[in-house]
Amino acid sequence: MMIIRTPFRWRMKLLTVSIILLPLLSGCWDNKDINHRALPVIMGISLTEHNQYKIFLDIPSTDDSNNITIVSGTGDTINEIIDHMSMNMESQVDLLHLKIVIVDKNFAQSGMQDVVSAFNRSRDISSKTLFAISEQPLEQFFSEMKAKTLNSGNVLYDFFEKNAGWNPQLADTRVWQMFRSINSYTHDVIVPLIRSGKTTNIECIGSAIIKNGKMTGQISPEETLVANAFYGKSAYGKLEVMDSATVQIISNKLTHKSWMKNDQAFLRSNLKLNVTILDSKGHPTEQEIKDKLEQLLTSRLEHLFKQTQQDEADILALGQYFRNDLTREQLSRWRSEYYPELDFELKVTTKIENRGNLKNL
Amino acid sequence: MDLKLRLADYFRTNADYFNVEIQLLQYRVQVIGLDSLVDLPQSIAMLQTQTTNMVDDSLSPDSLLKIIGQLVDPDLGAIVPDIIKGNLIVLEPLSGTCCAVLPISKVVTRSIGPAETENTLYGSSSSFLEDLNTNIGILRKHCTSANLKVETYKVGKSNPKAVLLIYVEDQVKPALIDNLRKKIEAGLDKDIQHLQQLEKILGSNPWTVVARFNATELPQNAAHSLQQGKVVLMIDRLPFAVIIPSLIWDMFCMKDDHNFPLPFMYLIRLLRILGALIATIIPGLYVALVSVNPEVLRLQLALSIAHSRQDVPYPAMVETLLLLVVLELILEASIRLPKSIGPTVTMVGGIILGQAAVAAKLVSNLLIIVLAGTTIASSTVVGFQNSVPIRVFKYLLIILSAIYGVLGLLAGIVLICAYIGNQSSMGVPYLSMPSLTQKDEPNG
Repeated sequence: MMIIRTPFRWRMKLLTVSIILLPLLSGCWDNKDINHRALPVIMGISLTEHNQYKIFLDIPSTDDSNNITIVSGTGDTINEIIDHMSMNMESQVDLLHLKIVIVDKNFAQSGMQDVVSAFNRSRDISSKTLFAISEQPLEQFFSEMKAKTLNSGNVLYDFFEKNAGWNPQLADTRVWQMFRSINSYTHDVIVPLIRSGKTTNIECIGSAIIKNGKMTGQISPEETLVANAFYGKSAYGKLEVMDSATVQIISNKLTHKSWMKNDQAFLRSNLKLNVTILDSKGHPTEQEIKDKLEQLLTSRLEHLFKQTQQDEADILALGQYFRNDLTREQLSRWRSEYYPELDFELKVTTKIENRGNLKNL
Repeated sequence: MDLKLRLADYFRTNADYFNVEIQLLQYRVQVIGLDSLVDLPQSIAMLQTQTTNMVDDSLSPDSLLKIIGQLVDPDLGAIVPDIIKGNLIVLEPLSGTCCAVLPISKVVTRSIGPAETENTLYGSSSSFLEDLNTNIGILRKHCTSANLKVETYKVGKSNPKAVLLIYVEDQVKPALIDNLRKKIEAGLDKDIQHLQQLEKILGSNPWTVVARFNATELPQNAAHSLQQGKVVLMIDRLPFAVIIPSLIWDMFCMKDDHNFPLPFMYLIRLLRILGALIATIIPGLYVALVSVNPEVLRLQLALSIAHSRQDVPYPAMVETLLLLVVLELILEASIRLPKSIGPTVTMVGGIILGQAAVAAKLVSNLLIIVLAGTTIASSTVVGFQNSVPIRVFKYLLIILSAIYGVLGLLAGIVLICAYIGNQSSMGVPYLSMPSLTQKDEPNG
């Protein structure tokens, strides 16, 4: 005899079966709890003499000692090294929380296209990861870092963190921006150049100019500040005006005008800065400070511009303003042909918004 | 056999049965009843006062009994229900007539006191009682509308009980009241001892998690819902009013809120919504973040969580479920226990949850915070019956989070929303606004 099942009973059976199957399908036993993962914050990459990668991982410990562990390994690819490290460690190396990638200067000069593309495409490394270049060999850098940061695992991370130790004199470049610079015709980047400091943990000695993933030159922290002002990231940066005053940038605004004439690019930019005076020396007038400041900024930016023209690295991304005027084929020659010939004039207008804490100059 | 003897035989096993002989005018009559329901000396005094004042003392027993009470057939089947109801039977043995008299009854209900399960801050604090008549009285004091209607039904076969259907005629939607009336009339032969049986009569799915009706002890809440166009059911001996339909806003709003200034009222309600969200989501979120998706956390937080979970042997899900079960046990135990032993449970529970579980490395510090927050938050909603679904939903989210992480959490929330959206009570969707139950304003 046929047994007639009510739809309700059918549904209940189906539900029960799927509930039983649910854990089997999911593979949830592969999930590792947070305390069984090693969470490296900093990765250092350098090249050995045999053209192999050497990787350093800075892993803050999660026990009471609060130390940091530095793990290093050598191999042909980054994934191979990490896998190897993971095998030899008591927990699984998980790059999800990687915040900073530090590369050695030699490696940066020889080109890091492969690494940057790999990082940008990888799913576990965030494309917001910061890039930095170390002046010192990485062995030395990491051992000095370890000696100095006995009680806190994330000093280096805080150094670059916007809401902690970051300053407008520091370049702020992420993996995705590096990747963009490799693939774009008109966009290059600057990357902070650091070394371990004498009295502080880290010392910033300027920025490296990166063109197509390769370090081509170097600029000073003061020039970096100007470049940051150009990017619109200069808030609360401080400037010294030739022996007479120190001013702080409150806000900035940038306008451009670009045109092509006789196959040459012309660009006129106007940088408007609102500043406040922090201190002064020898009773200058406001007008004097203003003039000196404008002169100083213009000359610094011109110097920066001249240098990048020599390097053929468009770190201010000026080529962006000619995207309408040039064909794609012409754009591919932007760095080598148009940029060195670019006629660029920058006008800096400053407005002293208030005198800050000074009663009289 | 004589009726008196037959009655005595019927009530043989009832110790409170009495049968005394008194003199009313020229007749000797038998007075029969249950001692536990009837105040005998007072009732006899009442009967005698009634009869001695009669001018005409030549009445037949028939007409005498008719004056003092209601005549009933002198047979067992007619008399027994009257006796059980608490009436007094007066039997004149010579003529064989008997009548049921409404006696002075013994008080078997408590006096009106403050509510036991609900607290009010500013509102009236008197609460409903077991006695139906008192309840209607209290309710009428709170809801003074001339359109308040009270319909009575006798429901049940072996244990008949009075059920009252109360509504305000010009507020309630006729469809709702007709529907309810039909359901009750169809279920007149079913007993009602508890709310599940009421659910059965009203024909709603007994497996639903979301509360189908709100039970309140506070007359002001009942009166408020009547004004909103809801229907109140009262069942004899259940000291609360059952409000139909139950809507999601009953979780967050109550009459008492209106005694605060308006901004505070909205803030308090927002707080309750927040509490319900926290109580359902946070435990699942903890499991998802700790075991599946730690990349969502900020680095510093990730490190400190990893630190606090150092040496904890269980995966996050087991850890969370373990402590949640302890918490539920404490909740359940503190309801059951008499007030004198209650503090012991609280104290012992406090030791386990406060320190010992962490010190023993069974659970992490953070989990204690998460679960304490959850428990507190789940009690912020109005009405105990509304906090139960919240307690249940969080387990679904924990399991889904343990398997699929944050994605699973989200899927779980969608599931819960869909489930709630599917619910309705007596044809009124659970997610509808209170005003939707109201009758439309007549034009003109």
